[in-house]
Amino acid sequence: MNKNTKDALTTKIGRRSFLKMAAIAGAFGATNAIASGNVTRAATDEEVKNPFPGSKNVRTICTACSVGCGITAEVQNGVWVRQEVAQDHPISLGGHCCKGADMIDMVRSEVRLKYPMVKEGGQWKRISWDIAYDRISKKLMSLREKSGPDSAIFLGSAKMSTEQAYYFRKFAAFYGTNNMDHQARI
Amino acid sequence: MANTWGYGAMTNSLGDIQNAKAIIIFGANPAVNHPVGFGHFLKAKERNNAQIIVVDPRMTKTAAKADYFAQIRPGTDIPFMYGMLHIIFKNGWEDKNFINDRVYGLEDIRKEASKWTPEKVADVTGVSEELLMQITRVYAKSTPGTLIWAMGLTQHSIGSSNTRLAPILQLSLGNMGKEGGGTNILRGHDNVQGATDMCCLSHTLPGYYGLSVGSWKYFAKSWGVDYEWLAGRFKNKKMMGAKGFTLARWYAGVLAGKPGEDKIHNAGTNLKALFVMGTGITSIAQQAKVKEALDELELVVLVDPFVNEAAILTDKQDDVFILPAATQFESSGSVSATNRSAQWRYKVIEPMYESKPDHEILFELAKRMDFYEEYTKGMLMKENKKSYKFPEDATDEIARIIKTIGLTGWTHKRLKNHTDNWHMFDEVSLRGHGPMKGEYYGLPWPCWTETHGGSPILYNIDRSVKEGGMGFRNRFGLEHDGQNLLAGKGSAPKAGSNKDGYAEITAKNIESVLGIKLSASEKKKIGKNWKVDTSNIIAEKCMEAGIAPYGNAKARAKVWTFPDPIPIHREPIHSPRQDLAKKYPSYKDKANHYRVDTQYVSLQSKKNWSKEFPINLITGRLVSMNGAGLENRASKYLAALDPEMFCDIHPGLAATHGIRDGAMMWVHSPEGTKIKVKAKYSYSVKEDMVFLPFHYAGHFQGEDLSHKYPEGTKPYAVGESANTVTNYGYDIITQIPETKGGLCRIEKV
Repeated sequence: MNKNTKDALTTKIGRRSFLKMAAIAGAFGATNAIASGNVTRAATDEEVKNPFPGSKNVRTICTACSVGCGITAEVQNGVWVRQEVAQDHPISLGGHCCKGADMIDMVRSEVRLKYPMVKEGGQWKRISWDIAYDRISKKLMSLREKSGPDSAIFLGSAKMSTEQAYYFRKFAAFYGTNNMDHQARI
Repeated sequence: MANTWGYGAMTNSLGDIQNAKAIIIFGANPAVNHPVGFGHFLKAKERNNAQIIVVDPRMTKTAAKADYFAQIRPGTDIPFMYGMLHIIFKNGWEDKNFINDRVYGLEDIRKEASKWTPEKVADVTGVSEELLMQITRVYAKSTPGTLIWAMGLTQHSIGSSNTRLAPILQLSLGNMGKEGGGTNILRGHDNVQGATDMCCLSHTLPGYYGLSVGSWKYFAKSWGVDYEWLAGRFKNKKMMGAKGFTLARWYAGVLAGKPGEDKIHNAGTNLKALFVMGTGITSIAQQAKVKEALDELELVVLVDPFVNEAAILTDKQDDVFILPAATQFESSGSVSATNRSAQWRYKVIEPMYESKPDHEILFELAKRMDFYEEYTKGMLMKENKKSYKFPEDATDEIARIIKTIGLTGWTHKRLKNHTDNWHMFDEVSLRGHGPMKGEYYGLPWPCWTETHGGSPILYNIDRSVKEGGMGFRNRFGLEHDGQNLLAGKGSAPKAGSNKDGYAEITAKNIESVLGIKLSASEKKKIGKNWKVDTSNIIAEKCMEAGIAPYGNAKARAKVWTFPDPIPIHREPIHSPRQDLAKKYPSYKDKANHYRVDTQYVSLQSKKNWSKEFPINLITGRLVSMNGAGLENRASKYLAALDPEMFCDIHPGLAATHGIRDGAMMWVHSPEGTKIKVKAKYSYSVKEDMVFLPFHYAGHFQGEDLSHKYPEGTKPYAVGESANTVTNYGYDIITQIPETKGGLCRIEKV
């Protein structure tokens, strides 16, 4: 290794000199609003203890598997900010597997589908909910008219709530077919 | 299971497994699939020195914790269990009193078991005689023993026989209705139990009421609509009573009529529209057919928090709609854990982006299709309301209607109260204390009345009905072949007014069975039988008298309406043992099996599949993912744990094909399809099998489809779907695909 590189790598910047450098950088970057030059301050004890003031804890249930582990979700201003295990839950007893621990990231995932889309001429196109509802219902009704209600199939989910699953089953009944199922079959 | 003793559900609870002295696990891998639940298994080992026995084709992480591990050939659980029964009967280890009082038809099982000597079992299953004997002795002598299973037992063409013989094994040892006993099925997804109870299933109405005219009439009335109007929604009354296509074979409904495709029976039409809400249809067998069907459809609607990868698989150019669903944390409602306990899942945040909860989407479509008022009326009926609140009024609607599995006690108020007080319950017995005294956590069904505390252990006659006790359900008539099907003398739930077997309770027999007199007004209000009695008089009177509304009968080892009245071994459709396939052939082909003709023996005997495809193919889950894996692959951190699709292969097998660890390999199926995956050397599989996780999608037969995701929606990990190469083959009763017993051929890339 080149000696200069080696020196550069082993050079230690002391904490004090680092802070000095940071202060200079801070001073250059600071606006008039920070007249004193102190750009940072230590967190108060209260902030360390409670980084999300005004947040509330919500008891909820993991959506991964059928064990039914408890989740304590911390919510601040409508944002899910932290996830905690439920130490006092009678089934999970404070346990979480990697899937369960990841619920907060699943919900906040950046690759979620964000708005309704339709494929037209091979291209994805953003549409409004109203247009989506109108087009889908019209097509379903015309197929129902033309080919009968059994020309459609509805596949629901074991990831729905019980109430939603019930209303999914009911939807197919009111549409007029028993072509309806979900992944419990598998 | 439902055909054996009344209900097809986990009989005990995860916590109760701590009471077991032995745990035998068939085709389940809870250490990976239910890690937190598995903690209770390990506690049983700590507390009682419970012996853990694992029967699985693969040395799973659960097997790694076992005292005994039998590495069985896929699809041979029936010979293994008969082998156990053979040894049990030969040594007189069965529970004779239990069998005498509570089981019908075990004689035929004895006869069949006598054929399965340890030598024969060893030949068919690949498990040595010594190990079979050791396991049987340990399991029979360490009671109570609990029997666990999951998809490793069900995903076979003989899955419904597997799930009947496992209960029979438990019945023989008297392990049913006991703390620390039971048949404990581990459900996959979080609400498989709840969604199944609501019967998003093509063969039945919610609560397993079936599709008979009587059932439809009961529901029409309970939904507040005219039966004739509802029937008019269907093509005709015959189709109203006909089972529909299933998730396993819906594609056949699209492809019928093309050369080589199975014939369908669907009111004279093919399927033209597919509406999917929350199911990763890339995790079902026959992906190549699924793709072909998607391409053919006129309308595809996919509702999911992420892009359902069916949208990526298809080459369809128009009318593919992808709608953003809210996650369950952006909605609220109840969810049933694997043990039949309900919990209230409170909403954490409002739906993000433009996503909407599932029910809202259904309601909006119903409005536009002109059946919204009829559709939602059920939520208004209890107190004659002007408007409803979802999900609370839906919970109460379900409680009002579903009597068969005893959901009367599941009002939204009680379910919320349980979740609010989850710290007030015992982890083993689920008993509540303090203000929750007298109730079990989550009110495990049947929860007969609005004050009943739930039933944590099914078929337990050591407790009174009020405390959750009950016998087996009287579901199959009062006698068969001249034999009484009711429970024996003195064999009834504790503290009941009737100490012997009794029939299910009806308006007609209630006075004689309970030994009571009804008032004139009660007689006027009471429903025909306990399943349709919305007055709740039957349930209330039964609780007072300590009588289970569904009767007190024997479990049956023989299901006379099934193609195999007692479970018998049949080789997988694609068997690696041609000699055994001839000796234990599959079923006769079945016409109109959920609207599609299905091949069994004709396909099995078409050729010696094992010649060209000599390797067993098994699929399963990874600890970091579930189902089609989409929501996990869309989570940055989880995706990083298993960033790419792979194939577990024994180094010995790999060497014979020149496949290096980490190199790419092809897996070919008898259907003519193939996938390209990374080889991962592993000793968890034998030299005659490979293992594939089924959580990936986004690649198809070697082609990367990444470019087909709309911008910004591609998950962090994509790969080949294992189900592109799983084989044709479906259960004879349920149509579950045979993904746990197939064949393949491998090749170096």
